[in-house]
Amino acid sequence: MLGGVFHAATLFLVAAGLQLVFGVQKIVNLACGSFYALGAYFGVSMVTWALGAGAPQLLLLAILLASGILLAAIGPVVERVLRTIYGRDESFQMLLTFALVLMFEDVIRFFWGTSPHQMGNLYLVYGQLKAGGLTIPVYNLIVIAAGGLIAALMGGMLQRTRFGRIVRATAENPRMSAALGVDITRVYVRVFTLGTALGTVGGALVIPVTAAMSEMGIDLIVEAFAVVVIGGLGSMRGAFVGALIVGVLRAVAIATYPEMEMLAIYIIVIGVLVIRPAGLFAKAAT
Amino acid sequence: MTTTRRNFLKGLGGAAVAAGAHLDAASAFAQSGPIKIGVLPIKAGIAAQTGEFGLRGVQWATDRINASGGILGRKIELLVEEESSPKDTVERFRKLALQNKVDAVSGGISTGVGLALGPVAEELKTLWLSWDATTQKGVEESMPKAKYAFRSCDNECEAVMASILTARYFRGKIKTVAGINPDYSYGRDNWAAFVAIMKKYNMGVTPVLDLWPKLGTTEFTSHVAALQQAKPDLIFSSFWAADASIFLKQAHAVGMTANTKFVFPVAGLVHETLKKAFTPEGMILGYNTMYFEMANPSPLLRQFTKEHYEKFREWPSYESDHGYFTIVAYKAAVEKAAKASGGKWPSTDQIIQALEGIEAESLSGMRRYREDHIMEANFYQGLTTHKNRYDFVTIDPVVMMTTKQVQKPSGVGLYDWINSWKV
Repeated sequence: MLGGVFHAATLFLVAAGLQLVFGVQKIVNLACGSFYALGAYFGVSMVTWALGAGAPQLLLLAILLASGILLAAIGPVVERVLRTIYGRDESFQMLLTFALVLMFEDVIRFFWGTSPHQMGNLYLVYGQLKAGGLTIPVYNLIVIAAGGLIAALMGGMLQRTRFGRIVRATAENPRMSAALGVDITRVYVRVFTLGTALGTVGGALVIPVTAAMSEMGIDLIVEAFAVVVIGGLGSMRGAFVGALIVGVLRAVAIATYPEMEMLAIYIIVIGVLVIRPAGLFAKAAT
Repeated sequence: MTTTRRNFLKGLGGAAVAAGAHLDAASAFAQSGPIKIGVLPIKAGIAAQTGEFGLRGVQWATDRINASGGILGRKIELLVEEESSPKDTVERFRKLALQNKVDAVSGGISTGVGLALGPVAEELKTLWLSWDATTQKGVEESMPKAKYAFRSCDNECEAVMASILTARYFRGKIKTVAGINPDYSYGRDNWAAFVAIMKKYNMGVTPVLDLWPKLGTTEFTSHVAALQQAKPDLIFSSFWAADASIFLKQAHAVGMTANTKFVFPVAGLVHETLKKAFTPEGMILGYNTMYFEMANPSPLLRQFTKEHYEKFREWPSYESDHGYFTIVAYKAAVEKAAKASGGKWPSTDQIIQALEGIEAESLSGMRRYREDHIMEANFYQGLTTHKNRYDFVTIDPVVMMTTKQVQKPSGVGLYDWINSWKV
């Protein structure tokens, strides 16, 4: 179960980025998986550099968070490229963002080569928790907590801050928001950068547990889409619940009927599509 | 003059003869230029690193041959394309054969691609020397009478060897086994072979769980949890990419590496990722057909690993040896065929004839092609140790088995062969 929740936490961050950008900018951004992969690679490099420069290992989490946030600086650049297809047919958006996925894979190969990158065994730097005959790496709990905290912060930001109100208003009706004096272009840049940060932070956070591979984002995009279909496209709450459903269901399937690992998820996806086609929480950026 | 049907056909025949003569002239001309060898390494995705290692082996062989005067005085020119999906790779193979008119194509890692390339090599009459790809459907050969296709050792060789070593090292120490293997033919066939051999050796073990994560999975926490629940004494895994180290890291984090035994027949392909920090000692680890750190390496292996490390800051994997062998085997075959035909450059048919049964020194020792075009090589596996100068595990002792011991003979089914063993 805990393994499923851990998976759900990383899945939520990528799906949340996808949701936020779609909710506000109406762009189906396949490149959210690439941000995740880039975040992982950049995280390895930053940690290697920081530890080499004498930073204590216990700062691992802070370094990873910082590297994810720093890397989100590519958000405005990518948003500038995507600006050319706002309002265009979804197939154009898919094509362009998929092209970005392929380009980012090459970027990764250019900077980091073809070998998987990992960072020794920093995974256990925060120790292990032993409970009821089970050993749980504390880092897993940290990632789960970070996922929950980010979900709460996102919810709070969207509901309770001025920027959140502007974002929600822009998502509902961009023309009216513009008429009321909202600088839509700036909102879009900020929202996209935030969406990028969710992916890059997700990738950076998960890297001590795994290894960075150029195509690691692709699988996650597919799962993130399952999350989005279950939760409802554009809904932050949907991303949270959808990620939990997918993560936990996958873990239960692996423990009981391993052959059903993917099938179980898609049965739920089909069920939601039939019974509630818009998803469980279909409402833009709420 | 009126052109009758007969005259037209005669003319056509004449033209064909002339065209044939032209082709002969062209091929005679080609025989004085460089030998063109097409190369098909994987460049993207989970096996990109494997492709890179294969290409390095081909390049190293080529550089050495060219530096010593080429093959019968002709230099080798490599035309590097890419292995990707079967369909796209077939297109690139066609381009190499028809447009670039290569003398041979070296490459092919995925058996999915191999199954597509084999028939095309036959159709285009182009010599294809595979690195790692076979033309097996499951564990059985799909092209027993191939002429132009020469393919790698059987896919399941390393699983067969690891199973034999499991019986040797862990008999009486295990009661339950579990498998976690990539969900495609290779992973499934390896697990089936392992279970069959456990039975053949009367190991008295019960398989308690078999997990099939998708190839390229990077997160195994749920799989590890399921294995914790099943509590197997031994876990068998055919992981061969980043999945090997990720799984071991996650298993180690929950304390599973302390008491469970592990068998990883082919993870030596990514040996540098198997860090001591999370890879236990005493695990059966396979390096397929080349181990980079033999106690008494041949001068050739010593030279290659040294140059490889100096250039790439990496210790090489067996794919380099597969690539290397295809080039030196081609050279040996051309020289053998030329000798038989009085020093003349041999035809493709003569080269093929010479390749059948040819032996050549490769990085890992002597290798050969069987008469049915299947590669024979030595396999290296052993028990992992932390006693070395690296931050990753190596093996000690190093056990070597020949393909005679771990590969089914020509024309025999895998399970018939296993059942025929006297153990």
